[in-house]
Amino acid sequence: MDELVLASADCDPARDIICAPSNVLELFELPRIFSIGGFDVNRTVLLTFLAMGIVLFVLWWGLRDRGSLVPTKFGAAVEGIVNFVRNEVAIDIIGPEGARYAPYLLSVFMLVIIGNLFEVTPLVNFPITSRMALPLFLSVVTWIIFVSVGFATNGIRYFTDLLWPKAVPLALRPLVGLIEVVSTFILRPITLAVRLFANLVAGHLMLSLLLASGYIFLVDVFDIGFRSAIGLAWFGFGLGIYVFEIVVAVLQAYIFTLLSAVYVQSSVHPEH
Amino acid sequence: MELVEAAVALKGAIALVGYGLAAIGPGIGIGIVVGNAIQAMVRQPEMAAMARTNMFLGIAFTEALALIGFVLFFIA
Repeated sequence: MDELVLASADCDPARDIICAPSNVLELFELPRIFSIGGFDVNRTVLLTFLAMGIVLFVLWWGLRDRGSLVPTKFGAAVEGIVNFVRNEVAIDIIGPEGARYAPYLLSVFMLVIIGNLFEVTPLVNFPITSRMALPLFLSVVTWIIFVSVGFATNGIRYFTDLLWPKAVPLALRPLVGLIEVVSTFILRPITLAVRLFANLVAGHLMLSLLLASGYIFLVDVFDIGFRSAIGLAWFGFGLGIYVFEIVVAVLQAYIFTLLSAVYVQSSVHPEH
Repeated sequence: MELVEAAVALKGAIALVGYGLAAIGPGIGIGIVVGNAIQAMVRQPEMAAMARTNMFLGIAFTEALALIGFVLFFIA
């Protein structure tokens, strides 16, 4: 409801076409609820802990009776997710040794997909991955993993092969090497985080603007008469985007996991 | 004073135009990626899984440019 209050504060349905808060950042900077020993806690923090709890609970509940031959329906579904990340992402991309990275990729996938789906969960309606802290932290962890794996498997050649690529003509080597080093060590983590973050920011913005506008126009039907039909259009458009955002939420979690696997793969086998 | 107000209004408008420009390239790029992936999947259905994975990778790399433009729109 924060969005509705924000959007309706400076919106006149009799005059405007769409209701937008003057500063859209207010949609993402949620007010503090309480603070524990100097740490302020707002809805984003609570939702992050909720997401962690859901991930742990789903994995524990789904896989708790592994001893029995026939898994429960829920267990089979969780096994499907685990199998998907382990076989389709980790082993297919990284290779046979990819199974070692499957636990990390599975945790990232689960946390990101739950965090993304909060965007379209009724009564929650706030994707925790639309705050830069979470995507940036996850991509920094991925960065640490792929850089340390690269140095552990290839030694210093991991860096020198990037800086002085033997496969390209001599004259181009300094240029290509510079581009490769910058893109591997600086651009990769930034784009990995920004991709997830910006997708969810865009989705949350569109949903809150369209649905809040639709709501504000429709409840003012007695004041503004026929103009509230505008709200119908915004509401319909918002519901279309709502379905689209469910797809985006799942797809972005998949892409984040996939790219993490690809980056690890490029460190394990740098020649490809 | 009017000049300052005009400049402030122009700043928002320019960010909008900048995002529009930033969306052109990735739009074309994603079209090419998906089109070629569909061609590959139709021609060789047995390699469809590989084509699909690489299609998502290509989309992700191409889309990053548009998203950076989107973020810069709010920063500007």
